[in-house]
Amino acid sequence: MDAYHVTVLSNIGMISLIALSAYLLLVCGEISFGQQAYFGIGAYISGIATAMWGWPLWSGMLAGGLIGASAAAFVGALTLRINGFYFSIATLAFAEMMRLLLYVFRYQVEIGGELVGPDGENGFHGIRWIFENDISTVEFMWIIYGVLASVVAGMMFMERSRLGRIFRMIGQDDMLARMQGVNVLLYKVLAALIAGFIAGVGGSLYAHSFTYIEPQFFNVMLGVHGLAYGLIGGLGVAFGPLVGVAIDIGFLEAIRWIQGYRMIAFGGLVAVMLIFWPRGIFDEKRWYSIRRCLRRMCGAETS
Amino acid sequence: MTDFLQNCIDGVMIGSSYALLALGFTIIFGVMRRLNLSFGPTIMLGAFGGAWLYLHFNINPWLVLLACIVFTVAAGVYVERLCFNAIKRNVAITSMVSSFVIWMQLEEIAIHILPDRTSPFPPLFASLSFEAGPFYVRSEYLFMFAVAVAAVFAVERILHRTWFGLRLRAVAEDPRAAAYMGINAGRVSVYAFVLVSVLGAVAGYLILAADQQVTPFFGLWATFKGLIAMMLGGMGSLPGAIIGGLLLGVIETQSLWYFGNEYKDLAAYLVLFLMLIARPGGIMGQRLVERRRLAFRRV
Amino acid sequence: MLRVENLVTAYGKIKALRGVTLEAREGEVTCLLGPNGAGKTTTMFSIAGILRPTSGDITLDGESLRGLGAARVVGKGVALVPENRLVFPQMTVSDNLHAGAFSRRDDRKRQRDMEKIYQRFPVLRERSRQPAGTLSGGEQQMLAIARALMARPRILLMDEPSIGLAPIIVAEIFRIIAEINREGVSILLVEQNARMALKFAHRLYLIQQGEITFSGTPDELGQDEVIQRSYLGG
Repeated sequence: MDAYHVTVLSNIGMISLIALSAYLLLVCGEISFGQQAYFGIGAYISGIATAMWGWPLWSGMLAGGLIGASAAAFVGALTLRINGFYFSIATLAFAEMMRLLLYVFRYQVEIGGELVGPDGENGFHGIRWIFENDISTVEFMWIIYGVLASVVAGMMFMERSRLGRIFRMIGQDDMLARMQGVNVLLYKVLAALIAGFIAGVGGSLYAHSFTYIEPQFFNVMLGVHGLAYGLIGGLGVAFGPLVGVAIDIGFLEAIRWIQGYRMIAFGGLVAVMLIFWPRGIFDEKRWYSIRRCLRRMCGAETS
Repeated sequence: MTDFLQNCIDGVMIGSSYALLALGFTIIFGVMRRLNLSFGPTIMLGAFGGAWLYLHFNINPWLVLLACIVFTVAAGVYVERLCFNAIKRNVAITSMVSSFVIWMQLEEIAIHILPDRTSPFPPLFASLSFEAGPFYVRSEYLFMFAVAVAAVFAVERILHRTWFGLRLRAVAEDPRAAAYMGINAGRVSVYAFVLVSVLGAVAGYLILAADQQVTPFFGLWATFKGLIAMMLGGMGSLPGAIIGGLLLGVIETQSLWYFGNEYKDLAAYLVLFLMLIARPGGIMGQRLVERRRLAFRRV
Repeated sequence: MLRVENLVTAYGKIKALRGVTLEAREGEVTCLLGPNGAGKTTTMFSIAGILRPTSGDITLDGESLRGLGAARVVGKGVALVPENRLVFPQMTVSDNLHAGAFSRRDDRKRQRDMEKIYQRFPVLRERSRQPAGTLSGGEQQMLAIARALMARPRILLMDEPSIGLAPIIVAEIFRIIAEINREGVSILLVEQNARMALKFAHRLYLIQQGEITFSGTPDELGQDEVIQRSYLGG
């Protein structure tokens, strides 16, 4: 595997996390245009934790995730009570607000005769955890995929649990969910919190993989992509967003003649998808039939 | 005090450009109950088309304006067909998402038209400034202000005095009833987008001509300024768009003056965010309480 | 058992209910009859805590339900089968049934209840792993009723269970309603189908333009000529 492929695969893994966080909210019927904010928060917080305070990666990642989660829950609690439109716009406003705040956020300390830390528009240099611990990009790729695998496994487990069912109920018909005795607002905020955590963890990995971050990375386009991946992959099953990421970064990137026009091709693809399959490739119905097929095949083999 | 007042004047002048953008959002939201997030990018694309012609053929600024309008209308109709007309299920939310996703397409097309990140943009007139006592105003902004006021009256007339406006409002109220009366909702929607694109292109041209340059970030900028101004003033309200735009302009210039350049946009977002929480309907608008409307319809 | 007193509910400035008073007695089928737009669904939504009444009171055995919110009203033993938005279409039938029991935490009893429900509605057992959106209209109505029963309600609120269904299925639905009632669940029913209501209800209320204009037994209603003529077409 050459360096280029390692980078592409690492990117797929990290972007998958923001796609998963958008997906979780989509399952609950809420559309967030601002998951990039929590991704950015996670990146900055974990970078500060490892590069400036000397924390290990895991604690930094946890901190990034937790701060991202609390920011998401804060935004959610304030705006989810109104209705979907306002939540979407508020997430967008919050994300841009965060990005602009990062432009003025300066907090640096001297380490080894060099200033380290976020420096406003000049970005945040020197998140050197992988160099200091002598971790190659391939090894870090495995770390990324380890984290991604546990997040996906956790989400698959959640989908089968009571919590997952509640999220789906709310997503399909929140009024009817309320009639079943579900405290809709509480669960929506909880979903926003979990989504914020996942995005924050993704951002932490991103900061440590690139070793340099700047506010411009966490712009609206990141959010557009995250949401598009969640939508195109399908809302039926938690690996849907991964399929979305793979289609864009993996498949379209590989086609020579699309190079340089990828966003045009992908944007068009998603827009057309929204017309015909508004709930993505693996939506609930298709996922149900796939599962039934699989069951039948397995049943045929055992009998 | 003089500074404060001068800031207010500047704010009102800049705000008139926001008001023009907000008008576009308000018309689409007011008559179609949908949010077109790629409104800004379509204007940006139109401006890139105009700038491309200007760079390669050095055409007259009036022709550049015309080109902006033509390209913006083309992009607007494209967005309408793909993200609004074609979508039948759960229209409000899906259209909003679709218009958000198509954004990346428009931005990349613009980058292919003019690969240089920043391109020059021609003004219509040479800049003048008018002074009155301690205060002064630049002519571009005065012109923009006049255009904004004229546009409100024109839109108001179109909506309430023409057959097209009547049809538009009928579709807005009840698409099915309008269809029974033989109104072609699809065509009305295209015309609405054409109207809005023309307004947007004029606004975009005036704003960019005042800066004399255009970048791909203009799409984001225009969407946000228009959206914030509309939401401040009230969703779907024409006077609200103007008030919201002017207010946004004043807030920005004041925070620019008192806190510095980095805080200008930050203040605008903060105000929007607080507004969403405290008074979601905006200053002039009715509260958009879809849930209650739905409940009402069922009863 | 369930008492509604002087209930006023408004949408903005328009009062949909202008002082509704009614009572659903323990073990009875109470029916709320009325034309379109009279405020039947509004009454149901107000009782279930989905709409917030402007004034008046709703009590279950003397305990006020007003302002509790939908989630806690279900916990008190009041379950609603809403009109037309019946099931979660993309969830399987069995998930839909589980959804009805979310206000309860007694897992073992829930399993037993599922079993009982499958016995009562064998068709649901056959389709238990199918997305609920693929069921027919009558089956969806049965699923909605079954799901409401999963909450172990003391009183079941049913909003026009017969709407849009073939007569033979309507008869089946009403047979089930009567059966549930015989097992001790009180029922408050909203109907436009007056003949069915007259046959099954113990007590009737007529609602017009947000006000109760008649209350009594089906026999008393039968004797009232004016109502006879305007509602039963006879």
